[in-house]
Amino acid sequence: MIRTVLAGLRPTTVPGLRLSSKATAGALAVVGAAGMFSVLATASGLVDLLGSGDDTVLLVTLGGLVGLVSSIGYTRIRPAGRIRDADVLGGVTLCLLLLVLMVGALHLLIGTTGSVVDALTDATAGLTTTALGAVTPDLADHGGRFLRAGSQWIGGLGALMVAVAVLPFFGAEREFADRSRVHGRKPMAPNQRTAVRNILYVHGGVSLGTWAGYTLAGLGVFDALLVAMATASTGGMVDGDPFTDPVVQWVAVVGMAVTGTSLVVLWRLVVGRSRGLFRSIELRSYLGLLVVGTGLLLLWTDGSGPDGIRRAAFTVTAALTTTGFPSAPAGTWAAAAPVLLLGLVSIGPMTGSTGGGLQILRHRALLQIALREMVRQLHPSVVSKVRLGGRVVSELTLARIVVIQFLVVSVLFATATVVASLGLDLATALGVAVHAISTGGPVRALDGSLLDPTDWSAPVRLAILPAMVIGRLSIYPAMVAASSAISVVRHRTRLGRRIRAFRRRTG
Amino acid sequence: MRNVGAVEGERVNPIKGRFHSTTAHVSGLALLFISAGMLLSAVVEYLDGTAGNALLLATLATAVGGIALWWTTRPGALDHASIFTAVGGTWVAASVVGALPYLLAGTFAVAGRPWTVVVADALFESISGYTATGSTVFGGHNRIVDQGSGILLYRQLTQWAGGMGIVVLVVTVLPSLRASGLGLIDAEAPGMGVDRLAPRVRDTAIRFWRLYLGLTVLIAVGFLVAGMGPFDAVAHALTTASTGGFSTQDASIGYWNSVAVESVLIVALILAAANFTLHSRSWSQKRITHFGDHEFRGFLSILAICTLVVSTLLTLDGMAPGRALRIGLFNVVTLGTSGGFGNATGAGSDGDWVRWAGGPQMVLLFLLVFGGCTGSTAGGVKVMRLRVGMAHAYRTLRGFRHPRALLPVRQGDSTVPDTIVSRVAGFMVVYGILVVGGTVLVAALGTDLVTAVSGVIGSLGNMGPVLGEAGPTASFVDGFSTPARLVLAVLMLVGRLEIFPMLLMLVAPYRSLRGAGRRGRS
Repeated sequence: MIRTVLAGLRPTTVPGLRLSSKATAGALAVVGAAGMFSVLATASGLVDLLGSGDDTVLLVTLGGLVGLVSSIGYTRIRPAGRIRDADVLGGVTLCLLLLVLMVGALHLLIGTTGSVVDALTDATAGLTTTALGAVTPDLADHGGRFLRAGSQWIGGLGALMVAVAVLPFFGAEREFADRSRVHGRKPMAPNQRTAVRNILYVHGGVSLGTWAGYTLAGLGVFDALLVAMATASTGGMVDGDPFTDPVVQWVAVVGMAVTGTSLVVLWRLVVGRSRGLFRSIELRSYLGLLVVGTGLLLLWTDGSGPDGIRRAAFTVTAALTTTGFPSAPAGTWAAAAPVLLLGLVSIGPMTGSTGGGLQILRHRALLQIALREMVRQLHPSVVSKVRLGGRVVSELTLARIVVIQFLVVSVLFATATVVASLGLDLATALGVAVHAISTGGPVRALDGSLLDPTDWSAPVRLAILPAMVIGRLSIYPAMVAASSAISVVRHRTRLGRRIRAFRRRTG
Repeated sequence: MRNVGAVEGERVNPIKGRFHSTTAHVSGLALLFISAGMLLSAVVEYLDGTAGNALLLATLATAVGGIALWWTTRPGALDHASIFTAVGGTWVAASVVGALPYLLAGTFAVAGRPWTVVVADALFESISGYTATGSTVFGGHNRIVDQGSGILLYRQLTQWAGGMGIVVLVVTVLPSLRASGLGLIDAEAPGMGVDRLAPRVRDTAIRFWRLYLGLTVLIAVGFLVAGMGPFDAVAHALTTASTGGFSTQDASIGYWNSVAVESVLIVALILAAANFTLHSRSWSQKRITHFGDHEFRGFLSILAICTLVVSTLLTLDGMAPGRALRIGLFNVVTLGTSGGFGNATGAGSDGDWVRWAGGPQMVLLFLLVFGGCTGSTAGGVKVMRLRVGMAHAYRTLRGFRHPRALLPVRQGDSTVPDTIVSRVAGFMVVYGILVVGGTVLVAALGTDLVTAVSGVIGSLGNMGPVLGEAGPTASFVDGFSTPARLVLAVLMLVGRLEIFPMLLMLVAPYRSLRGAGRRGRS
């Protein structure tokens, strides 16, 4: 019905120019960001009625206006015949950045915080599902709390869209999309439209299931909703500590483990294609990391008994899925314990989930590349292909995965250097950088205690925002957008030509 | 039994060359060379020390072992697997046997330490020497200055021998290896391919050694002019040319606290960390050709930028600008070239970088990764790999914007072949896996995060002192448990041979066993 209405609003003849590929991507990014902002603001406004309701008018009005503008804009866009891959990735980045600015502005308008830096940090932390937020809203402020949780949920959904519905169709990791119709099976992502629909089904279902779980475990309905949104998105930003109850903690462990699973695996479970699922090496690696990680953390924190296992499982699952739910350290933390958690955060969960990090499939690809290179040292002329999930991975994809590793390490070093120069000690700087680019959540000190981002200076908190954005977008969209922007600036300023002309004049 | 090539009526030696083993043959000669260094050290120890007999005994044992291995074997198969095994095996043999002088002299048998720790320390110091790393287990509990001159000289000689490469030395001498000599040299430093300095491999190897020896002499003269005594000048020249970092003083270069000494060291380390092909070309063309090389220019740029950043941050932290520049420049160069010397005058002094703020320490961590130029004695990932990696990343990003374009990776005016790009990419991946795995393992053995990650990176890059608990005024005994030190020692060997030979050494024998099994069945 909505599509019919919107189609009816679209004029049959439009004066002016058809948009270029770049302009189309930019325009769609603006429209998309406005649309998501509208949904978030309106929903937050309606939820605020459950509390004092003093922000409802502002939120609903703003949401409605922005939504209207977004709809009109969408109908007015005359897109280019084909949008280039680089422009799509740039558009995705622009969409996230705009959303961050808009949500940050909303935080300021409704009074969640009075600091611009805190508002930006919280908006970025929510939308990138990093859980390094700087705002603690009043527990009675239902609208503000829902805004935080909602921004995480949208961020997680956006990450799934990028991983499953954007990247495999626009130049990166095409082999990882589930498109095969062999033996009559229903693939998850045969085309973009179907992929988006199936993502909404599965992600929505997981969110609802987690909500029900928390409610049955004893949390209030509203609190359960907020924690479920933080779980399903692997966002990790919650108010207070809702995990004091062991049952709630176990629900969280299961919920996080499910959301860290690839959407393709969940899809196959939904459509009844579960046979042979455990032949997936990625799935077995993921489950193995959870089990082994729990065992090692138990060992390195002197934990024991059911309580110890529960705490270790909660901490390890929160780290590996990059959810980052807070948990107070128990027992004596050996030197290896924080290193283990840092390693798990940087590995990340399965590819095609809402989690961050480099993700398991890419690590497998890197391992196979390493093994192949060693074989090539012995047999330089050998022709050797890398296979993942039964498919041969193209050399282009492998090259891009290697470059991802290089770019991640570069961003990590740069971020750590900047925040260390701004006053953090070396260990904290490294931890912050790893968690930011892996969207992993709160950083731990060497004794296991959680570090509070509000204790860091404003420049430090601003310095980690780019790493969060780059990490959430799986590196390439942000980097491609940055290189495109640099290229545009260079062409406009004609810097190279000016330098050559100057050299010719001066001989 | 007839020896191959024996003439009718000639006496046949049944033992000479009886066994076919490239590894044993090369290792045997390498041990002979090492024993020569031990002999020289024994002489010096007799003149100024108490462990002359121990060193002489170590010399005899090493020489006998070397002769036995060399005499009774001849080179076997010379395929890639055998070459990697030969190189890896030689380095392991040299490093392990190289611990004999320390063990027999009781260098690390300090009161109260169990024999297992003593053996581990001796192995660690030997491996740190031959791999030109410069990490040490000497410290406050067992000072360097309390050792005899012979032991100190031996320590310095281990780094000098390891700096150029033991296999390069062997290839110079062994006629039977000449055909595969370039492969062996390349396997010892499998970076971007070895530049031939001369048409014949033996001549290439001789030229390398001549350049190396010449540089060492030049550095020794420089130190003498700067004010060091003769023994210290020679000793430090040996470990500067090899970018090793061992010193005859516990405070390293900080003992002299001299701008002149530090200046000589800075210039010397930069020369040692530059591609020796550039030195050869400059010598033959009688002009400086270094600045025409993109890698060398990139290397100097990295050092300059890092010096500027570190000096600025130190100044902002309260150090006087002139002092910050001196401290920053010295420490950036010493770590950026994998030299590993220190100019701290004591714990907590300006040069003790573990007391610096986080910012300058992060810059040093970056330098621990990258090291010097290819074809030099420096360790690390090497500047060329960094440049190729960056160019490859930029090409990939441009590929998104221009999917149909053919975008080669360029270094200056020349195109880097895709095979080299692929090799560099594979190296970076393996390096990353080793860093992560090594850090987790070392941390599991009781080391904190910063010390573990910097220790692993420093060991793989053959750097020397690192961050955390094993800084320039501390000992590796302070920062790492005994098992952790052994893990780091293995990583030093892996890093010195640029990863693949040591890892492939583990695979290759299995392959040959499989091959032998198949031949047996057929």
